[in-house]
Amino acid sequence: MKYLMFVAALFGVLRLSAQEETEYRDPSKTSQSYGDYRGKKTVPPYGLAKVKALIDKTPFGDDESLRLSNKDYMGLSLREKFTYHLIHAEISAQNCDVRPPIQDEDKKIFGQMAEGFNESVWSDRQSKFLISNRDSVMALIKESVNRSKRMGANYKMAITEVNGWEMIPFIIDLYNADHKDRDLLTLLMLLLKNNEYKPFMTSLSYRKLYGDDGNYQSYIDFNKANEDLIMQRARDFYSTRGK
Amino acid sequence: MKTFLKYCLQHITPVLLMLAGVNAVKGQSPAFVHVPAGEYKVGKKDYPMNPLRIVHTDGFDIAATELTNTDFEKFVQATGYVTDAERLKNALVFEPGLREFRWLEDSTAYWRYPNGISRGGITSKMNHPVTCISYRDAIAYCQWAGVRLPTLDEWEIASRAGASTTYFWGDDLLEISTYANVWHGRDHLKADSSDGFLYTAPVASFKPNPWGLYDVYGNIFEFCEGRAPTDEKNSRVVHARGGSWWCSKNSCSFFNSVDIGRVKRGASFSNLGLRVVKK
Repeated sequence: MKYLMFVAALFGVLRLSAQEETEYRDPSKTSQSYGDYRGKKTVPPYGLAKVKALIDKTPFGDDESLRLSNKDYMGLSLREKFTYHLIHAEISAQNCDVRPPIQDEDKKIFGQMAEGFNESVWSDRQSKFLISNRDSVMALIKESVNRSKRMGANYKMAITEVNGWEMIPFIIDLYNADHKDRDLLTLLMLLLKNNEYKPFMTSLSYRKLYGDDGNYQSYIDFNKANEDLIMQRARDFYSTRGK
Repeated sequence: MKTFLKYCLQHITPVLLMLAGVNAVKGQSPAFVHVPAGEYKVGKKDYPMNPLRIVHTDGFDIAATELTNTDFEKFVQATGYVTDAERLKNALVFEPGLREFRWLEDSTAYWRYPNGISRGGITSKMNHPVTCISYRDAIAYCQWAGVRLPTLDEWEIASRAGASTTYFWGDDLLEISTYANVWHGRDHLKADSSDGFLYTAPVASFKPNPWGLYDVYGNIFEFCEGRAPTDEKNSRVVHARGGSWWCSKNSCSFFNSVDIGRVKRGASFSNLGLRVVKK
């Protein structure tokens, strides 16, 4: 009997403790709002109404993906194709391509940028278009960003897709305008990484973000020293590569 | 007092639950593990996708292994079922050299050629888990076989085997290689067969969890039923759990009892399959 009472008491206590632990701490409002800001896309203006109308009339496939027919796709101009790719990814993303919500997101500079598309990624034809038209893609991004003063997650993804290292001064200027979008610093680091810039590849930041133990949530602290260091490295790389 | 209570919660509960699990396993056929009725701890503190909570189950029987190519072939032979990947020619396959999270669309791929014809078939892999099937295909199999998919909570209860940690053995990621076929390379640019397998492994090639379930982490993601707390209201995505041969600690460390993946219901990947529960 004493044993049963002990077990009953123990379970009662365990339940109370468990309930205490279930209290979930929401990320702060600042953190959440910065998370939303990071994930926002920029909507290109080029032929937007036409592209949207085509997407709207195209039914979702049996696989719940949506892609324009070859005929509709080939009928788009270069600028319209740019808009289509930047607002719509055609194929399914894999199951684990999910970013869990993050605490104190606003206090971090991440190794990877926020994704612009949920459950979807660019198809082969979309990637090929972006890469084979990289000069035009970079020019259109600049034109659009100069108008809106913002570079959405999808634009940053396109810059990494085309390895747009030539945009480094533009990215730095944009960041310096308000120091708000730390994913621009991430973009700079990804360009350094993708171009195997040695001073960055041998740095402490690189090891922390992209080294053996780095993962898709790795970050360094957001502070002025890190901010300056990233921009200086990017400038140095650009001046070397640009020659 | 609070420290004592915390100690009890962390150390005594898992032992009690584990003992219950082991006893249950002994009484079952080799193919299914019985999870007894009761209350179980699932989720993780401060984790919106899967918050820490206590859930109740009336008990269920879950397959000890993932569904194999042999099992799926019986279904296809009996029904003539045509999978989504065969019909839509949209399967997403893998070969070393791809950047992180990139897959190739391959019109030749389906469950008999899960990474496309050019990367080989399953003739010598009938004891591997079936892959390259969509959620719809998984449901079709279940209806034919008179079984069902586990719910998100059931999958988690079974994978944890009484533990309250990220992995059923604790929180140390390094032990993963003992229990799961995962990707050990830093990235996916080079092939990784360091654990003996580039793609899937035969089911039960690695050590089971304490309740006798094999490959709960790694080998393939396993479709589940249910909604995650972070799902948007009208979302039609489905979920799969447990990690796969593709997943690495650097790019997708979902090989654990906490993370919940999401995918379109018509998508067919060569790292996605199922484990069934008795109806």
